[in-house]
Amino acid sequence: MSWQQAKLSHTNQAAPAAVYPHRRGRVYAILGLLVLFGVMVALAITVGSARIPLSTTIDILLSKLPLVDITPHWTSALETIILEIRLPRIILAGLVGAALAIAGATYQGLFRNPLADPYLIGVAQGAALGAVVGFILPIDWQWLGLGTVPLFAFVGALLSVAVVYTVARVGKVMPVTTLILAGVALGALLSSIVSYLIITSEEQLHGIMFWLMGSFSLTQWSEIKFVLPYMVVGVGVLLIYARSLNVMQLGEEQAQQLGIDVEKLKLILLTAATLVTAAAVSFVGIIGFVGIIIPHAVRLIWGPDYRFLLPLSVLVGAIFLILTDIVARTVLAPSEVPIGVITAFCGAPFFLYLLRRRTKVLF
Amino acid sequence: MVKLEMQGITLAYGDKKIVEDITFQVMPGEMVGLVGPNGSGKSTIIKALSRVVTPYSGTVLINGRDISRIPRRELSLLISVIPQIPLLPSAFTAFEIVLMGRNPHLGLFQYEGPRDMDIAWQAMEQTSTQCLAERRISELSGGEIQCVVIARALTQETQAILLDEPTANLDISRQIEILDLVKGLCRKNKLAVVAALHDLNLAAHYCDRLLLINRGGIHAEGTPIEVINTQNLEQVYGHGSYVHTHPLSGLPAVLPRVDSSRNSSLNK
Repeated sequence: MSWQQAKLSHTNQAAPAAVYPHRRGRVYAILGLLVLFGVMVALAITVGSARIPLSTTIDILLSKLPLVDITPHWTSALETIILEIRLPRIILAGLVGAALAIAGATYQGLFRNPLADPYLIGVAQGAALGAVVGFILPIDWQWLGLGTVPLFAFVGALLSVAVVYTVARVGKVMPVTTLILAGVALGALLSSIVSYLIITSEEQLHGIMFWLMGSFSLTQWSEIKFVLPYMVVGVGVLLIYARSLNVMQLGEEQAQQLGIDVEKLKLILLTAATLVTAAAVSFVGIIGFVGIIIPHAVRLIWGPDYRFLLPLSVLVGAIFLILTDIVARTVLAPSEVPIGVITAFCGAPFFLYLLRRRTKVLF
Repeated sequence: MVKLEMQGITLAYGDKKIVEDITFQVMPGEMVGLVGPNGSGKSTIIKALSRVVTPYSGTVLINGRDISRIPRRELSLLISVIPQIPLLPSAFTAFEIVLMGRNPHLGLFQYEGPRDMDIAWQAMEQTSTQCLAERRISELSGGEIQCVVIARALTQETQAILLDEPTANLDISRQIEILDLVKGLCRKNKLAVVAALHDLNLAAHYCDRLLLINRGGIHAEGTPIEVINTQNLEQVYGHGSYVHTHPLSGLPAVLPRVDSSRNSSLNK
């Protein structure tokens, strides 16, 4: 159809909604994923070495709510398994999955680079160094019920991003490419220190390696209490700025001409994504693959609009990590496989399948 | 209605001065063309007018207000820009890109409503891009992308439009269609328009006033008849062009100077 014909065949009466039909489909997708999330939580809380019927589980959970009166028909051991072992673990897995997925999507959008992941600018390496130092130091603090390893990891993650940011900044401007390069360089430096410390620390080796590959075992409520505020605030901020992230895809110059204060936006998004990532990794270690693959999978299915990409990533990330954690704790039961091993092993083939099947441009 | 003013602007990348001490103004309803050779500083002037580059010295005023003190969002309600060779994210659809023109009109927690959709849809009608609405950017040609970006600028509903080589990717009939549209809006809505143009014939036909830019300074300024003459063009472009009068409009028309003796020497 030529331009002129098109002009004749389209008139003003054609509803613009007709050319923007994706919106409703994406809202249904969010609702569908919420249902799937509920199913996944129910599955995760049922599966385990102790066989507990789902109805008993639901009764135990309901009995903890105010104004609900159910006479206990279960043993206290059962209650401990549900409330102190399985539930916190599932919640943390969901939170971490959501955090890594939304942070990954944000970094990819901010850097306009499909290879970006939450660990690109030194969060993981900083956390790893902090954690390893926490393992090696002969001190054993407790602060808000938290051990040295997660606290050191959290501080390490934030410090390394702060260093990267300071190095990359030129006056009031932060060129994105410089930021990535500085992150990669500092990451390499920190990794080498971590490797050296691992080799020289014989008796802590197993603990360190397990942390580095990620695990949700022994999750406690205190950890969730620490992580939750960062997650809620960080994810909330990222969701609010999703439309700005769309406009950023035009490049910094056009984004400015469309009313975006680019430097301010970069700082806000970077801070929020970094806090969310740092909070996630400091308790469970470096879980790879989620942050890069989940956003791409969402993009492949539902398109590039960040206003849907971000919330959908949150849901898919949470579902994915709860599912992989089920696998991690059952496949070699009673011992556990580090979850980082499972995420890549389950996720990579599925992603390759999506890539093969794709019919449209990805990024 | 806005009036744009550039007062003594000097722009430099590092130590290298690109533009030196430029002063001009654009009235509401006036279309001003920037012409001049490659690398003369036309695009940089457009960037300074939209505050994408910060001037080394001098100020840009919009209705007498210094634009460096206007918040980004407010500024983009006043000035829209059609960039040269616009790079767009390939996975978005044309309609999504056009709708981004509403960004400065929306608050942080707002979604585009039916009114925003209508404005975008009308802008696509004006630029004959409605048939492209559902297509992804990766499936469009350079000229089609150019028209989508023009639709986006119209969707922004500003009172000043800056165009940097808006017709570089377009065929001759689309060039005329787009410039007719911009000129019509300029007159009807009293927009202040600045267009950097390579094509001197189009510049002569559409612009009320021309600034002939050379080596970062204004070489000549005035109506197309005053600016486009053999003497000026020889000084700025060298001996490559030949000026005569357009048979239909009476405006200056420029032809490349190719004479038979030069051809025969090339053929040897």
